[in-house]
Amino acid sequence: MISLAGRDILHAWGKFVLTGIGLGLLIGVTLTMAGVYRGMVDDANVLLDNSGADLWVVQKDTQGPYAESSSLYDDTYRSILGISGVARVANVTYLTMQVSQIGDGKARDVRAMVVGIPPDGAGHPGQPGYLVEGRRLTRGHFEAVADIASGFALGDRIRIRRNEYTVVGLTRRMVSSGGDPMVFIPLKDAQEAQFLKDNDAIRAQRARTAQSPALNRPGVPGLLDAVIASQSTNTSVNAVLVQIEPGTDPEAVAEPIRRWKHLSVYTRMQMQSILIEKLIATAAKQIAMFLVILAIVSAAIVAFIIYTLTMGKIREIAVLKLIGTTNRTIAGMILQQAVALGLIGFVVGKVAATFWAPVFPKYVLLEPGDAVRGFVVVIVICVLASVLAIRAALKVDPAEAIGG
Amino acid sequence: MDKNRSDPSARGIRIEGLTKRYGHGDTAVDALKGVNMVVAPGEVVGLVGPSGSGKSTLLKCLGAIIEPTSGRMVLGQDVIYDNGWKISDLRALRRDKIGFVFQAPYLIPFLDVTDNVALLPMLAGVPNAEARQRAMALLTALDVQHRAKAMPSQLSGGEQQRVAIARGLVNRPPVILADEPTAPLDSERALAVIRILNQMAKQFDTAIIVVTHDEKIIPTFKRIYHIRDGVTHEEAGEGRGTN
Amino acid sequence: MKNFISLHGRTIALASVLVLLAGLLGYVALRAGPMAPVAVTVISVDSQAIKPALFGIGSVEARFTHKIGPTFAGRIRRVEVQSGDHVAKGQLLGEMDPVDLDDKIGAQEATLRRAEATLLAVEAQVQEVGARKAFAEIQTKRYEQLLVASSVSEEGAEAKRQELQIAQASLAAARANLDASRQELIRVRADRDGLVRQRANLRLISPVDGIVTRRDADPGTTVVAGQAVVEVVEPSSIWVSVRFDQQRAQGLSAKLPAQIVLRSRAGELLSGQVLRIEPHADAVTEEILAKVAFTQIPQVLPPIGELAEVTVALAAQKSMPVVPNASVQRVDGRLGVWVVEDGSLRFAPIKTGATDLDGRVQILQGLSGGEQIVVFSFKALDANSRIKVVDRIVGKSS
Repeated sequence: MISLAGRDILHAWGKFVLTGIGLGLLIGVTLTMAGVYRGMVDDANVLLDNSGADLWVVQKDTQGPYAESSSLYDDTYRSILGISGVARVANVTYLTMQVSQIGDGKARDVRAMVVGIPPDGAGHPGQPGYLVEGRRLTRGHFEAVADIASGFALGDRIRIRRNEYTVVGLTRRMVSSGGDPMVFIPLKDAQEAQFLKDNDAIRAQRARTAQSPALNRPGVPGLLDAVIASQSTNTSVNAVLVQIEPGTDPEAVAEPIRRWKHLSVYTRMQMQSILIEKLIATAAKQIAMFLVILAIVSAAIVAFIIYTLTMGKIREIAVLKLIGTTNRTIAGMILQQAVALGLIGFVVGKVAATFWAPVFPKYVLLEPGDAVRGFVVVIVICVLASVLAIRAALKVDPAEAIGG
Repeated sequence: MDKNRSDPSARGIRIEGLTKRYGHGDTAVDALKGVNMVVAPGEVVGLVGPSGSGKSTLLKCLGAIIEPTSGRMVLGQDVIYDNGWKISDLRALRRDKIGFVFQAPYLIPFLDVTDNVALLPMLAGVPNAEARQRAMALLTALDVQHRAKAMPSQLSGGEQQRVAIARGLVNRPPVILADEPTAPLDSERALAVIRILNQMAKQFDTAIIVVTHDEKIIPTFKRIYHIRDGVTHEEAGEGRGTN
Repeated sequence: MKNFISLHGRTIALASVLVLLAGLLGYVALRAGPMAPVAVTVISVDSQAIKPALFGIGSVEARFTHKIGPTFAGRIRRVEVQSGDHVAKGQLLGEMDPVDLDDKIGAQEATLRRAEATLLAVEAQVQEVGARKAFAEIQTKRYEQLLVASSVSEEGAEAKRQELQIAQASLAAARANLDASRQELIRVRADRDGLVRQRANLRLISPVDGIVTRRDADPGTTVVAGQAVVEVVEPSSIWVSVRFDQQRAQGLSAKLPAQIVLRSRAGELLSGQVLRIEPHADAVTEEILAKVAFTQIPQVLPPIGELAEVTVALAAQKSMPVVPNASVQRVDGRLGVWVVEDGSLRFAPIKTGATDLDGRVQILQGLSGGEQIVVFSFKALDANSRIKVVDRIVGKSS
């Protein structure tokens, strides 16, 4: 027996392949949307992975540092370091802001999450795990390690608030939960950047202070200077990241900090739930909802295409029935074509999604699991759609073939 | 099929008192009002009648495409209809016992000439090679073997009709129903088709009914059934043959 | 058109499309999916003598800052200099308003003159009384002789003696008066001198040859005692007060050479030397304070308070294996590097030593030199990662 489906495909292969590619692009869009959703969740997860922390110590009763603002004195870490089970701690600041590149013809703004870390602590919490170019921070000031998603290159000069920084290293996949690239700068600079906004603001602040009679008292030389100096320093950080000794229960280390230091402490799992269930929940649900609708629409279109393809051959099917072709053969022909179309569509979609995913401004994570699920769904939809088409085909009166 | 062939008495067709009524009650139309026909194996019989005379209906009933209202049809020794179908698998009946040749050839557009012909034996379970061999033999007999690999759309009308005839014959059915097979052809080709049908009827002991109102070929039949208002009248034809 | 393509050709066309798709799928699965090898760059560990350095920022300060102002509250009458003016030692910089001080001096002068006059009068009186006393003595002596000669009466002589006694007492009184007048003159003169000195104190005088760095108050302003009106520094005494992170300040000591970059003169390297490490560190900012002096004072004096970046070169370390700090990672709580052996990865725990500002880290333990180690990777690595060694990661793929 020859393959009727194969012969039909071969006969109109151009149309068939084009239909498959069109279908594939639609499937590609659906896969990409799934990737956008996965990418969003992954952004939240890499934020936690990249911080390298087992515990996050933040201001009491806040859900910082990512979901809420949190402020701690920068000497808090000393008392945490003394708690048993704590291996390493690091102060860290997070500040999402515009970072501008400076230089001739390169001036542009990038929205970034500026992370203040103590320099040169490879393997310390808060440090980027791996680099793709350059080196880690070694100087205590005016150096930056940027994520390549920011578009910065080694040697670029960038401005963060009042200071200029030289990009000395590049990372990859170091992003905030919102997908903004991270820019790591030395902690002291970051503390200053968080507080000292710009020169105009500083001048205005000084003027305000000078106008206050309580702070600018005649007869007390030096008071105003002291007040201004104390206003211009910032000894706060947003969180203390803690790495614990291997084999220690994070909760056992967290409890004494909560109890005696009057701080909030989150373990990795708690932080994950804050990020994914609270911070990105609505946005992720939005995407997920869209994904569901897109999947339904895609399924409907796949079904229509297969149905239409079959209906276009209704006369041939009538002739086949007239000359005695069994229902099974006809159904097989339609089913095989539908599945072949689905296969081509899936392959085109997967390839297309993979090639265009990196172009997206935010991370698109194409999970193999999603691809497999997508494949199964595509094939199931094709089979279901062909069932519709087969039902229609089997109802065809062979008399139609000879035109009554 | 071979067993059919080995028993010539089992071939041929006999129709007795066949009626067909469309619709019900006052609006009912009697298309056939008692048709009697006998066609022997190896015989080519003409079925002639004006439009609306019921010849298409008769053909569809014979081809087991529509169901008659009453009467009796015997194909060889098998009663296929006796006030109701006596056979459950009409499609197998069509495939194995009846060959169709239509006014339009209705070839499958996505199969080449050989496979269009070979499809029927293949559907019946004949191995591909053998089915193609059989198809090739028929195409050779019909003188279109040089187009064996062409697609139907590349053929001329006559060639298409010859391929359609080959398809009607390939399962060596006891009966071939030809509906205006020569209508789109010029007289020379029309005669050629009739010649082929005659030749095939002889060669394969097939009973062939040719529905036509083509004046060019009516004189070639030895026996002609006229159908008018749903009733058949048998008369002798000129029987000139095609030579 | 397609009808004229032979079946064979069509099969080939369809097959080639399918093969292309299958190839792309294979590429996608193997090169872009999780099965794709991770692009890494490797480097061979070699031994180097690194020169660690410290980096700190500070501000330009003067060693001695002379804040010149009045010693008591008052109003400024005039200020003679502007910021940036060079001044000489002893130069008048400004003056406070003396208010009634000049009048007081005038009064004292008058008092002084009166005291002097009084003194003269008292001296004259002493002379007059002296003369009277001398006359009384002579009279008395003569009457004594006359008495002996009984030419005068006893009463006459007695009267003369009494006159002498009165003259003697008058002289003593006049002398005492003279002494008092002298003392008064000294007092009045001292009073006047005090006022003159106070008057001089209202003049603001530069104690050194230097540059005026600030002029904080203008004429008419009332300032309190001790408030600076003008600030003068000696150019030769400027230095940079630098802050170094305590964590990284190992090896910092006096006499080490330093490079200073002033913020306003980026790219211009000035040489200097660590002068001293302050005995007190900043406990709040966890920084060590040090003073770095310029080897040569810049021609154009940097503004006091300007930000300066200071790099202090520490003593060169002895040669030992070094790796880029980008290669150092922490895996399962241990610090180490990924060593490439026969195309597969092994995590080698290390102990690190000194680092330099270019990001090179000494390896004290764990590597002996010659190993191939991963520097950059496209993804985080684990022991089962398939790797593909490339020259660069950035720019190759995204």
